[in-house]
Amino acid sequence: MLQPQGLSRTDYLTRPGSLAVVRPQAGAGPDVAAADPETLEPFVLVEASGAVTAFNGHVDLGTGIRTALAQIVAEELDVGFGRVSMVLGDTAVTPDQGPTIASETIQITAPALRRAAAQARQFLVARAAAKLGVPAQDLVVEDGVIGRRMAAAGGSGETVADAPPSGDNRFVTYGELLADDCIRLALADDVAVKPVSEHRIVGRSQPRVDLPSKATGGLVYVHDMRVPGMLHGRVVRPPYAGVDVGDFVGTSLLNVDESSIAHIPGIVAVVTLGDFIGVVAEREENAEAALRALRVAWKPTPKLPDLDDLAGALSKNPSTPRVLLDTGDVDAALAGAVKRMPRQYVWPYQMHGSIGPSCAVADYSGGRVRAWSGTQNPVPLRADLAKLLDLPQDAVEIVRLEAAGCYGRNCADDVTADAALLSRAVGRPVRVQLTRDQEHAWEPKGAAQLMTVDGGLDASGGVAAYDFQTRYPSNASTTLALLLTGKVAAGPVVLQMGDRTAIGPYDFDHKRIVCHDMPPIVRAAWLRGVSALPNTFAHECYIDELAAEAGVDPIAYRLRYLKESRARDLVQKLAERAQWEPHVGPRLREDSEGVMRGRGFAYALYVHSKFPGYGAAWSAWVADVAVNKHTGEVALTKITVGQDSGLMINPDGVRHQIQGNVIQSTSRVLKEEVTFSDIAVASREWGAYPILSFPELPPIDVMMVPRPDDEPLGVGESASVPSAAAIANAIYDATGVRFRELPLTPERVLAGLRAAGVSPQASAAALALPACASSGKPSRLKTVVMPLVAAALGAVGSLGVMTLPWRGAIAPIPRPDPAVFSAATIERGRVLAHLGACFVCHTAEGGAPLAGGLKIETPFGVITATNITPDVETGIGAWSYPAFERAMREGLHRDGRHLYPAFPYTSYAKTSDADLQALYGFLMSVPAVRSVTPAPDFKFPFNQRPLMALWNTMFHRAAPFVADPARSALWNRGAYLVEGLGHCSACHTPRNAMGAEEKGALHLSGGIAEGWEAPALTRASRAPVPWDETAFYDYLRTGWSRHHGAVAGPMAPVVAELKALPDDDIRAMAHYLASYGDAPKSAAEIQALAAAREAATAVRKSTPVSVPGSRMFDGACAMCHEPGRGPALYGTKPSLALVTAVQSATPDTVVRVILEGIHPPGLGTLGAMPSFADHLSDWQIAEIARYVRGRFAPERAAWPDLDAAVARLRAHAGAR
Amino acid sequence: MKSAPERVLPETMTLRDPTIRLTVNGETHALRLPGATPLLAVLRNDLGLNGPKFGCGIGECGSCTVLVDGVAARACVLHIADVDGRDIRTLEGLGTPEALHPVQAAFVETAGAQCGYCLNGMIMTTAALLDANPDPSEEQIREALRFNLCRCGTHVEILAAVRLAAERLAAQRLAAGRSAAQRPAAPGRRR
Repeated sequence: MLQPQGLSRTDYLTRPGSLAVVRPQAGAGPDVAAADPETLEPFVLVEASGAVTAFNGHVDLGTGIRTALAQIVAEELDVGFGRVSMVLGDTAVTPDQGPTIASETIQITAPALRRAAAQARQFLVARAAAKLGVPAQDLVVEDGVIGRRMAAAGGSGETVADAPPSGDNRFVTYGELLADDCIRLALADDVAVKPVSEHRIVGRSQPRVDLPSKATGGLVYVHDMRVPGMLHGRVVRPPYAGVDVGDFVGTSLLNVDESSIAHIPGIVAVVTLGDFIGVVAEREENAEAALRALRVAWKPTPKLPDLDDLAGALSKNPSTPRVLLDTGDVDAALAGAVKRMPRQYVWPYQMHGSIGPSCAVADYSGGRVRAWSGTQNPVPLRADLAKLLDLPQDAVEIVRLEAAGCYGRNCADDVTADAALLSRAVGRPVRVQLTRDQEHAWEPKGAAQLMTVDGGLDASGGVAAYDFQTRYPSNASTTLALLLTGKVAAGPVVLQMGDRTAIGPYDFDHKRIVCHDMPPIVRAAWLRGVSALPNTFAHECYIDELAAEAGVDPIAYRLRYLKESRARDLVQKLAERAQWEPHVGPRLREDSEGVMRGRGFAYALYVHSKFPGYGAAWSAWVADVAVNKHTGEVALTKITVGQDSGLMINPDGVRHQIQGNVIQSTSRVLKEEVTFSDIAVASREWGAYPILSFPELPPIDVMMVPRPDDEPLGVGESASVPSAAAIANAIYDATGVRFRELPLTPERVLAGLRAAGVSPQASAAALALPACASSGKPSRLKTVVMPLVAAALGAVGSLGVMTLPWRGAIAPIPRPDPAVFSAATIERGRVLAHLGACFVCHTAEGGAPLAGGLKIETPFGVITATNITPDVETGIGAWSYPAFERAMREGLHRDGRHLYPAFPYTSYAKTSDADLQALYGFLMSVPAVRSVTPAPDFKFPFNQRPLMALWNTMFHRAAPFVADPARSALWNRGAYLVEGLGHCSACHTPRNAMGAEEKGALHLSGGIAEGWEAPALTRASRAPVPWDETAFYDYLRTGWSRHHGAVAGPMAPVVAELKALPDDDIRAMAHYLASYGDAPKSAAEIQALAAAREAATAVRKSTPVSVPGSRMFDGACAMCHEPGRGPALYGTKPSLALVTAVQSATPDTVVRVILEGIHPPGLGTLGAMPSFADHLSDWQIAEIARYVRGRFAPERAAWPDLDAAVARLRAHAGAR
Repeated sequence: MKSAPERVLPETMTLRDPTIRLTVNGETHALRLPGATPLLAVLRNDLGLNGPKFGCGIGECGSCTVLVDGVAARACVLHIADVDGRDIRTLEGLGTPEALHPVQAAFVETAGAQCGYCLNGMIMTTAALLDANPDPSEEQIREALRFNLCRCGTHVEILAAVRLAAERLAAQRLAAGRSAAQRPAAPGRRR
């Protein structure tokens, strides 16, 4: 564990043998020795054991401040780094230093810690001076050992341990000085700290203290917190996902149907408060299942403004202008400009995108709550929980554990409140983790922003005026449970946070800066760089435009207006480092492939916090790009980044922060944009919100300006700030085209290049592609076949049921003694039972084997498989062998009733007597289970069993299999297995209007199984590579063929059953099935066909049929379905170029597999595919399917009406 | 979700909810749970392991990565029935803070993590990669980690960690080869 938990201030401050430096809380008296320890905020605690504990109200978000703060304390206390442990963000103990934001920890909160450590040291040195009778200035401390200052021979070092043998060798340790005392010092304001020249720990790179534990699965994260008696909770969020302003927030719930989760075991509670819904279960996966299954009715959700037009939405959002700066006479200067240049820059909504969905554990008991949380804001969160739960603040404790990186505000606070509500409801500790889709949808977004600049050049090429306006729709994103429960009204709240770095760095004579404060449109808060990143995008692109217009090198032009010496120094040093070649205007360097190269510059001092705020580290970028003018792809070929951070506590830590900022902001600039449906956030997983991946990582050259004598500055965000402008300016240098809206996706860049005439126009065919999504009626077997069957059977019915032949019952027998069957017979029967897939249909989900109960969908209604265990009353225990044989061959119940051909007696009839006898023996030997089978739910006339007699006369031949002497023994064996007990034709052969299998050329030419397409096994197959004997064998044996993919749907359990068959039989089946195909090809030919097919579809077209589909495919599907990409993974990676379903006339199989996933039971080596139903909308799945079809089946017509097909199949899946 | 069957049946009798056996970090566990129980939930909640993390639940991010028969696998996507009888290794099964596995040590030394939530996946994917390909090219490393997402932007340090781990493992093999030149090779975990 990284830090102790559950301790109070009293626990720390009353320890014998300790020295604490504390700050009295507001209102407490100055006598800290006499004060109630709970009113004292500790900073540093030195113990006689040698251990040092230091306290800070800020938390480590993965930036390494736990390490850097410990360095500061160790330095000032003169103890070894390893002695110091930090307690961060525990509201029961740590000082209230506000939320961990704005890169403030080192710059703002650490000085107090540093003073406290220095103060403790001075106190101890003074004690030592008294004890040793030596003046304090003659003493030196090393690792908590105080001795007389000695001049080491031949060196300048001062040591205690290596003191020369002569002179005063006495020393005393901190521990000895403290003895059993319990000392408290009030933190002083005027404590002398060490000069930088004496630093031995600060300013040197120190390995991160948290990583060994993180790398080995230690208890570090709140996600790993487990409390005795803990339950698992999940929340069900309203449909207005990611929207938190409006009178519908907290008031939209109509009702919760708890019966919808009655089938899920271990549900402890469903908690409803306003629009807050939570479920609590004993097991986590059951809470998750309940979240997905719970039926909830909501009021209609109001529509959002059109967020495809962000500039329009932001312009129309009501706002209040706030003038931040107005110098000179802007209006007059604008009017007098020689070249007027009005510009508009647009920043999209973006995500924090924490890799781990937020999680918390809360334990509410006895009117107190303790919450383990990953919050960035422990103290404000405590106040929120107190309000939510109607508790005094001191009854709420927030224990901070680490969490997935957050770069502003994610759902960590929300989920803590959720856990507290659920724990209160059930009276036990509850752990709640959000789902990926919830974290994506509900995290407060980094706000979109609109910047407009009016300005231009004067006659001398100087900047005539700069009239800058910025619009930023965000608030603090009130902890969600407060809004959902109605504790806090979800009214518009306007925070003045659009002004970060709004003034800009350049000293223009006529300059006006206006921030339009406005309420949020969707849930938004601060994200790394806050409004400074967008504002700097505008500032730094605009000055680049001015420089180009003025005919001056962009850096030289900036330096005309950049007055601050540290800024100029950084800019000049970076230009030198990057070997900047001064130039004017775009250089348009293009190679023969159409790749255009350019470089761009941008600079920023990140000014943050309440206006006018203050600066963190200075940062500047030189970005090198390569733009493919045919595809619009932008590759960063190098980023040279310079930063002036003042004194760097942990230089490696600073470097990591710079690199992290560069990578994350590059990702934001090139790729990231939240998408919305008309009511909510639509990006709910990483396919719809892709982030930078390893292959896209640019080379990064980091230049850290050494300034050890200047105050340390915040480094958590600065290097992000120049990113967008540097990249956009580089693209301009490469192409001559200005991009003023992000992200710089291939489609946006290509469109811009085409509009500017840089790239050739799209071909007519490519332009026509979006029209492929034309409408058309989907053909549905059920709706087409059913009326025909009804009509046909209706006509038969008119003949009169009584005219049909009647078959008699076969007398019941006592249950046969299994002992009469030999072990060999039973074993043979067992294998045959698997071949016949008896278990598949005759075993219910979770039910006893062969006891029936599985519901089977047929075109005629739902039928329940019967109990075929030897139970006398409810199974087949009373069936004699002749009764069993008659059922298998003629489809008759023992009592003479007709069975429906959902039971494939039409195939089973072909089984040999010996095999039927063995099967009978096996069935009589299994445990008898009492289980009554419900009657089929068929509508008239299908519920008229006697009609089946006529059906049998028309369609059934009850003859055993007869071998074809013209064929090989292998073929005949295969035919016997396939056409008999294997009953492949039951699914793979189309049926006529009467539900009977078609004959002749249509045999095995494709059918329907439980709503799934059972593809053709004959020449009618649409498989891109023909099925051959090897493929059939691989598929039947393992569920997988390299050239065809993996089993899905009802075929998966069939293959699992076939595991019982010997290889020879599988080979025979494969041989027989292959005989339905064309003349066999050699393995090499098959291999070549497959390779050609994959090569042909591997081409990534510049304009895929669906651009969003292509993007989502890359994030959600490519890991397993892009040959040659990604890691080797357990299981298979089906190649979509070869999968038959992609070639089908209907999208049903592809869509169902995306919606439902694949978990082939008993075929574990295949791996699995998850269901995407909860993370992808109908539209998103349709776009992915559209892309897959367009890419992997380019010769075939686009699937019509995909959106409707997804909606239909989703409804179907939900109804099951 | 369905409840566990009341009695244990012979494996061949049913495909639904048999007793499932998982060997995790060398120890075999018999589980009476529905076959559709997510492997990740069992590793974390039944076996109390912290290494594999829930990141997305749909196999996109890699933070849940474990090794199944020595190959990287996404535990959030697999059901326990999908890995019945398999050999599973988690981050905890690689090494301890006192005795780090070379891949873990490399990630600690290069600071291959900021928040570290993705770290499990990075380490496990790297371990599997280096087992299969001891001397990967830069391109192969990046490709192997393509679908392991890191949001903090620790990519530079992570790549350095993979390279360092490859060097260390190669040195280890060299040393082991020298000290046991004539002994037959240990059976590999890969099948």
